Amino acid sequence: MKKTSLVIIGNGMATGRLLDELSKRDLSAYSITVIGDEAHGCYNRIMLSPVLAGEVTPSAIINKPSEWYQRAGIRFISGARVQKIDPGQKRVMTEQGDTFAFDELIVATGSRPVAIPAGNQQLSHIYSFRTLDDVERIMASAYSALGGSFEPNRLKQVNAVVIGGGLLGLEAAYGLAQKGLAVTLVHRGDWLLNRQLDKPAAALLEKVMREKGVSFQLGCEVVRFDGVKDVRGVELSNGDRLACCLAVIATGITPNKELGLAAGLKGERGIAVDEYMRTSDPSISAVGECIEFNGVTFGLVEPIWQQCITLADRLALQKLTPFCNSPVATKLKVSGVQLFSAGDYLTAPAHRELTYSDSATGVYRKILIKNGQIAGVVLFGDVRDGQEYFEMMHAQRSVIEVVQSLLLGKAFYQSELAAIAA
Amino acid sequence: MENGLNMTDTLVAKQSIKTTCCYCGVGCGVVASVEQGQLTAVQGDQSHPANLGRLCIKGSSLHQTQESPDRLLRPSVNGKETDWDGAIGYVAESFKKIIAEHGPDAVAFYLSGQLLTEDYYVANKIMKGFIGSANIDTNSRLCMASAVVAHKRAFGGDLVPGCYEDLEQADALFLVGSNTAYAHPVVYQRIAKAKGTRPDMSVVVLDPRRTATCELADWHLPLRPGSDAHFFNGLLAYLVRIKRIDHDYIAHHCEGFDEALATAESVGNVAAVAKVCDVPVEHVQAVFDLFARTEKVVTVFSQGINQSSSGVDKGNAIINCHLATAKIGKVGACPFSITGQPNAMGGREVGGLANQLAAHMSFTSQKEIDRVAQYWQAPNMAQNEGLKAVDMFKAIKTGKIKAVWIMATNPVVSMPDANNVKDALQACELVVVSECVADTDTAKMADVLLPATTWGEKNGTVTNSERCISLQKGFLSAPGDALHDWQIMVRFARHMGWQEAFSYSHPVEIFREHARLSGLENDPGSSGREGVQERGFNIGALQAISEFDYQNFEPLQWPVTAANPRGTKRLFSDGRFFTPSEKAQFIPVQARLPMVTPNQWQVIMNTGRIRDQWHTMSRTGTASKLMGHIDEPYIDVHPLDIEHFGLQQGQLGLLANRGAVFYGRIKASMDQRRGEVFVPMHWNDKYAASSRADALVNDVVDPICGQPEFKHSPVTMEAFVQAWNGFLICMDDIVPSAQYWAKITLDRGYKFRLAGNVLPEDWRSWLSEPFQDIDEWTDLNDSDRQFYRAVGYRGGIVTVILSIAADETAPQEVRWIEQQLGQQVDVNARFALVAGAPGAGVEDEGSIVCSCFEVGDKAIAAAIATGCTSARALGERLRCGTNCGSCIPELNALIRQGQTLDCLAESGQS
Repeated sequence: MKKTSLVIIGNGMATGRLLDELSKRDLSAYSITVIGDEAHGCYNRIMLSPVLAGEVTPSAIINKPSEWYQRAGIRFISGARVQKIDPGQKRVMTEQGDTFAFDELIVATGSRPVAIPAGNQQLSHIYSFRTLDDVERIMASAYSALGGSFEPNRLKQVNAVVIGGGLLGLEAAYGLAQKGLAVTLVHRGDWLLNRQLDKPAAALLEKVMREKGVSFQLGCEVVRFDGVKDVRGVELSNGDRLACCLAVIATGITPNKELGLAAGLKGERGIAVDEYMRTSDPSISAVGECIEFNGVTFGLVEPIWQQCITLADRLALQKLTPFCNSPVATKLKVSGVQLFSAGDYLTAPAHRELTYSDSATGVYRKILIKNGQIAGVVLFGDVRDGQEYFEMMHAQRSVIEVVQSLLLGKAFYQSELAAIAA
Repeated sequence: MENGLNMTDTLVAKQSIKTTCCYCGVGCGVVASVEQGQLTAVQGDQSHPANLGRLCIKGSSLHQTQESPDRLLRPSVNGKETDWDGAIGYVAESFKKIIAEHGPDAVAFYLSGQLLTEDYYVANKIMKGFIGSANIDTNSRLCMASAVVAHKRAFGGDLVPGCYEDLEQADALFLVGSNTAYAHPVVYQRIAKAKGTRPDMSVVVLDPRRTATCELADWHLPLRPGSDAHFFNGLLAYLVRIKRIDHDYIAHHCEGFDEALATAESVGNVAAVAKVCDVPVEHVQAVFDLFARTEKVVTVFSQGINQSSSGVDKGNAIINCHLATAKIGKVGACPFSITGQPNAMGGREVGGLANQLAAHMSFTSQKEIDRVAQYWQAPNMAQNEGLKAVDMFKAIKTGKIKAVWIMATNPVVSMPDANNVKDALQACELVVVSECVADTDTAKMADVLLPATTWGEKNGTVTNSERCISLQKGFLSAPGDALHDWQIMVRFARHMGWQEAFSYSHPVEIFREHARLSGLENDPGSSGREGVQERGFNIGALQAISEFDYQNFEPLQWPVTAANPRGTKRLFSDGRFFTPSEKAQFIPVQARLPMVTPNQWQVIMNTGRIRDQWHTMSRTGTASKLMGHIDEPYIDVHPLDIEHFGLQQGQLGLLANRGAVFYGRIKASMDQRRGEVFVPMHWNDKYAASSRADALVNDVVDPICGQPEFKHSPVTMEAFVQAWNGFLICMDDIVPSAQYWAKITLDRGYKFRLAGNVLPEDWRSWLSEPFQDIDEWTDLNDSDRQFYRAVGYRGGIVTVILSIAADETAPQEVRWIEQQLGQQVDVNARFALVAGAPGAGVEDEGSIVCSCFEVGDKAIAAAIATGCTSARALGERLRCGTNCGSCIPELNALIRQGQTLDCLAESGQS
């Protein structure tokens, strides 16, 4: 029997997980081709920051080297960018001119850094922070600022500006600072991670980052880059100027939807899919950061793993497991500090706010209660029982009885519950 | 070598030194172990007649209270440290000036039953012989004055007829207004042991409260407060009616019987007695019969009798019954006044009271005044009695007395109407305080502070309740500039220009002088000759005691005379008394109920001791072990009164009278009568925000002896309406800013229970005020302000722990959290500290019942539940009660409680 030809465009984390899920089920019905525009096999993008920091080597984060594809009987086309999908002919064409026919196509093109409105972005030594190549370019640029000499201990003379105080920007800044560069992070929000953290938690994070050597410019934007050919500095909306010979833009991501939309697939913010990851074309599916589901796009791994399961069930088992976009908690590790954020993270007048703070160890925990139930959680530095809170929040459990020890974790509120029962 | 012990010797070797306990009037012998100049352990002296090796919890903790963090070390004048010459010079010049301008009665000494006999003697001699006033009184006025006068009226001298052995030998023992289990634990143990050996021995307790002592009692009659004289008058009349009096004895050895009987009979029959005493008539009948039919009866009486507006009469009502039945001067038969303080008796012996002269002589006899004047070579002998304690402080307030020197006592806490005492001292021109502790409530009022030595450092004699003189020995060197009280007064006398009369260099010299005076013109059988009156107090045989014998003083019961050189166990065995006629005197007693009666909104506040604290806690308060039993001021209230006054068990209540307020934890207690509450007398401004019971006591005194009515104060009672409560545990001794706080000494640091009626704006600022040097805080904050927790770290060490709840429920307190103070803790424990609980796996012991082995009520309850149904079985299992034994009454109570609950549980199921 002829195998079904399954082509996957993109080789990011969603594809990696999807291949794993398919392998767990049954690959025998498919001959699989993966086309990726990066040179490497699938790697863990979350680990870019430690790579930049020099804490791990690039190869250590690659979880699917070329041999893996080989062993799994998967054709892996690396360094190739798909230029066009032809749904009618059921084939895709790469920029290199190669054509691949498919019976089933999966678009997993991911996302790219969002552009910023600053002027002079054409200057050299302005990078995004998205791929292993970016990491390599950034470091090369740092050394070139030193005249190309490999003198890691002189990196502190290199001024770098990182734009964006979200997770990505913080990780870039952390990596650079660990390398020894003099880093200033510019962030439009009034505090760091202002989509996940409240101000006190962000202040603690800022303190930790400052201790690592990162400086901050908060509440302002980069208006333009200075320089003739190479970037030499940035001009800020507050009038300040920062000298730099290297800038990283990490202000957020936007779905790589264009390839799919150009092929006539439906979608606005991303490639629209249904709850089984089907696009508007019956033989094309999409998964990961490039999609749009019920108007929502994705940037965290957890829901994407769910999407991969749904897709694998359908493709390998013909089983329809609906994807349900359940709310997720943000669990992050920034600069070695654990963070957890779920639900409401800013205290409003309707909330009863419980906070725990430990100035010595830099631990901050907050639970917001509304109508006797958890409405939001922010944990910084010590995230124990975050998941418990998260589940209690979604189960809408009353927490009033254990309100005194709730924030200290299960070990304590369970004994309080036991004491009440006794 | 002023205290007669070679300090260099104590520094090198380990020594066992015999001394006497500094707490209650039992006067137990103590063997102190001293190593490298430090007191390392104490044990009971097997050879001491008072305790025969036993010690109570306070006594066995002596070594743990020796190191006081706030010892007074330097003299100071008006807050400025100075040297001795500067300080004493200032005091002497001020006294001289005031005496010159206003006369000798413008100055006063206020002393203490904690002073040694030699200290007392010097103070008395200065005031009465040299300053020329008798304005010298003592805190013994607060506990013993009634008994003193009762003795004098009946026996012609302040003479305790019997000895502790009599309590063991009696066939019926009456304990009247005396909670010996708490106040005199070793005597209680002796009684308990005797009763254990001879179960036929009957024990009767007369006390409005069901005290721990009642555990031992065959009969407890919860008399209406203050109705004791009615009871004993009724008994006397009853004894006559049923013809159980000793006519022969009365005829040969007593006077005044008919008159006394006539007055006593006015109380009426047994039913009438039962009615006025508010106890069942059958009980009165049974107890009267017990007294009547038993030969060997001892009636022990204490503060319940003495601290009354008719205490002297009550004492005589008791003595009358003993005289009428000749139950006196015999083995196992006597009235027995038991004293509260270690040396109340010594003070009485030297005459250190305003209405005594010296050595049992009095101002009523010019011959005696002249005798003492001549003996002292006194230039300015006082001729009249001085002002007794309550009147003395009133005179200070009105400015009649302009200078007062307070030694070794804390009247701002212990006097009735104590806030007025505080005001009086504030108004007084010169307040001199000799103290060993720097910051007692009274020391805070002082213009001149003089550092005195304390127990273990000072050397001298004390006399216990059975007239037994023993030595309190100095074996530790004095800290800082501290001097012995007698030395301080000798310096004062020298500055006053009386060096010759006060040339002592060792306490033995003072003792000899005192002994010789006691024997002066006091030969046995001398009464009536040439107007001479023989005195019962006579230790003339010791007037030439060698320094060696003094330093190794063998306990002796006075009189110690040539005829009885080894002392005297019992007095009056020969039927001779120390009155001019040598006959005992019946005193007609008009029984009176307490002076001030409560209105319908008031309850009667009774005050007293708790087991593990002593007086105003300046010593016992420093030992965590002694705080384990009861750690907070409380109010014992009958459960129905709790309902009646709208209170709740465990909440804070407040009592008020005379503008003073007492805060205490409400404790439901079936031991209380309706309408009556009991509060501990110990707490003061150093240990609580406002829990000085004596500030609520009316300044009502016995008209004869001036002793205040501490046991009967009508006060209002209500719940303290709190907005928040909680606890604070910290390394530093602070004064928390809260309407209510009570300080509890821990092994390391302190715990404060807190409550307030207004929530502070912000807890973090509330904390940062007293704890400015905390570098790191952990806290748990609730925007609804229902609770707050914080832990402060100094250099990573747990230094402050605060837990607050905004409702009535008190934050959970576990002993584990106290143990974290001063520790470096890991991240997990930082959570646990804020949680206030160690998490799973750590058992809490509950509140400590046995202080010796730190056994808590939870452990005891568990042991009872699994079959330990006697105190002994509990002791075998948990060791509780096997050391000092003070907790045995409570163990028994817990056993009873456990059994009651069992039966309730069963009936609930059926």
